[in-house]
Amino acid sequence: MTHRITAILAILLLGACAAPGPVLDTTNPSFVGDMPVDFSGSWERDYSRGDDVRGTLNSIFRAQQRQNQQQSQFPGGPRATPSLSPRDGNALVALARLVDEITRPDVLTITQNDFEIRVARKDDFDLSCSFFDGVAQGTDSAYGTEVCSWDGESLISHLVLPGGLTITSRFTMSADGNYLRVITTAKSSATRTPFTQHRYYIRFEAPPNAFNCIETLSMKRVCSTGEVAP
Amino acid sequence: MRHRTLLAAIVCLWPLDSSAELNVSIATFDPGVPEDYSLHQDLDVFPKIREIESLFLPFVLREALVDAGDWGAVRVVPESDDAAELLITGAIVHSDGEKLAVSLRAVDARGEQWIGASYFTEGNYEDLFRRFVDDLAGIRDSLDDRTLNGIVNLSLMRYSAELVPDAFSEYFEQLPEGGHRLVRLPAEDDPMMARVHRVRSVEFVMTDAIDEKYRELHEEVDSVYEIWREYRRWYADFKVREANRNELRESNAARGSYEQLRSVYDNYRMDRLAAQEQDKWIVGFNNEIAPVIERMDERIAEMNGWVEDGYVEWTRILGELFDIESGLD
Repeated sequence: MTHRITAILAILLLGACAAPGPVLDTTNPSFVGDMPVDFSGSWERDYSRGDDVRGTLNSIFRAQQRQNQQQSQFPGGPRATPSLSPRDGNALVALARLVDEITRPDVLTITQNDFEIRVARKDDFDLSCSFFDGVAQGTDSAYGTEVCSWDGESLISHLVLPGGLTITSRFTMSADGNYLRVITTAKSSATRTPFTQHRYYIRFEAPPNAFNCIETLSMKRVCSTGEVAP
Repeated sequence: MRHRTLLAAIVCLWPLDSSAELNVSIATFDPGVPEDYSLHQDLDVFPKIREIESLFLPFVLREALVDAGDWGAVRVVPESDDAAELLITGAIVHSDGEKLAVSLRAVDARGEQWIGASYFTEGNYEDLFRRFVDDLAGIRDSLDDRTLNGIVNLSLMRYSAELVPDAFSEYFEQLPEGGHRLVRLPAEDDPMMARVHRVRSVEFVMTDAIDEKYRELHEEVDSVYEIWREYRRWYADFKVREANRNELRESNAARGSYEQLRSVYDNYRMDRLAAQEQDKWIVGFNNEIAPVIERMDERIAEMNGWVEDGYVEWTRILGELFDIESGLD
């Protein structure tokens, strides 16, 4: 599995050099010492900022339209990017819809220790990044591979799924530690154009739980207002 | 059962003239957790569960030996004792709640290996250990009484030599190719031998008390461990069902369509959610069992400390007595 994850990191790195658009920078998959940033805490969506899917799609299509017009006005000029076919367009809309849905949770709960960062999202799996001796340890199954890396002070989670679908989430915290920006980029082998969405979150203090709970096997979740001992 | 074990322990304090029932020491197993963390996922290794199993499974083997009925005292011990009449060590090779593979080794006091093999089961763990016990009995039955008595006596001499090296180290020899051979025995009325028997009987009482702790652990863990195994069986079944379901679903959607992307994402999502649910079960298992193991470890450490302190004192006193009696002073 380690080899497969290393190979995926290498492919992402090569992709970052060659592909236009958002860059998947995996130049720093390992680090020395403490993790560069502590993201732990509760984060709620800042609806005053961030991209609107429809707006982002419109701007991509408008840019494409402008480019098509320029090409028809000045035939023979240099072509920046190949034009978007209707099939590409449909695939891009599909990507956008997927990104919109998977970035919908209002609240992110991030726990972090010396070797793991876990991003809990409602109704979805936790994004999990483990580092041992500063080296990223991915998770790998028949259904996909998840691996993390640091790019300076940004944490990057790469999800590589079958059929050429990749989803990259870049987590960056503001200098004062009160804001979190998550840039999600999805790529599909069905379209050359990736879809990127920005979401912003504000740190908040989750109310303390009135109950102390622990998981047990025979009694499931055991909660008490006092100390809980199995 | 306990009375029988105690009786067997008392009977086995002395060398046997007739057919020998060998005392068996089972060391707690090696959990078989690779140091390289990145291998854990590939090998389906859950380190915390393995730690518990390494303490719990030796007792299942102990019960299989006791049930067989033709062994002496059978004890689970925290550490290997090379001088034991028959020492069994084990390492967990694979354990996922559904399948179990254990590498087991049995070596007698001579250093002769009886068995060194891996045993595997997909069913009852008890069956695995019963097969091992049958194999062990087969080897024992192939040895004559003289050999078996020789093993018992050699074990006693090696134990005695650890206590009073000057008095007993010449009764056996270490073979150049490894292992030990009994050379002769002390006189039946040897006063030093009688003292060694008394010390050994005290140590056996403590060893039985430690063994009792493993029995208690087994009692406390057994039901929780069964829940874990049931869950793991369900999880394995779930994975198969999911794989079949996903195969059917993926084939229907057009490439690049939302349905196809969503299907690919959901397959991964379901797989991760199931894995994360499994992590919760592991935490739950550990939450429930860790305090039991902590209590047991403390008690065993206390008893071991007591034995070790006593051992130092016994060695000193017996050494001095030997010097006085042999006129070396």
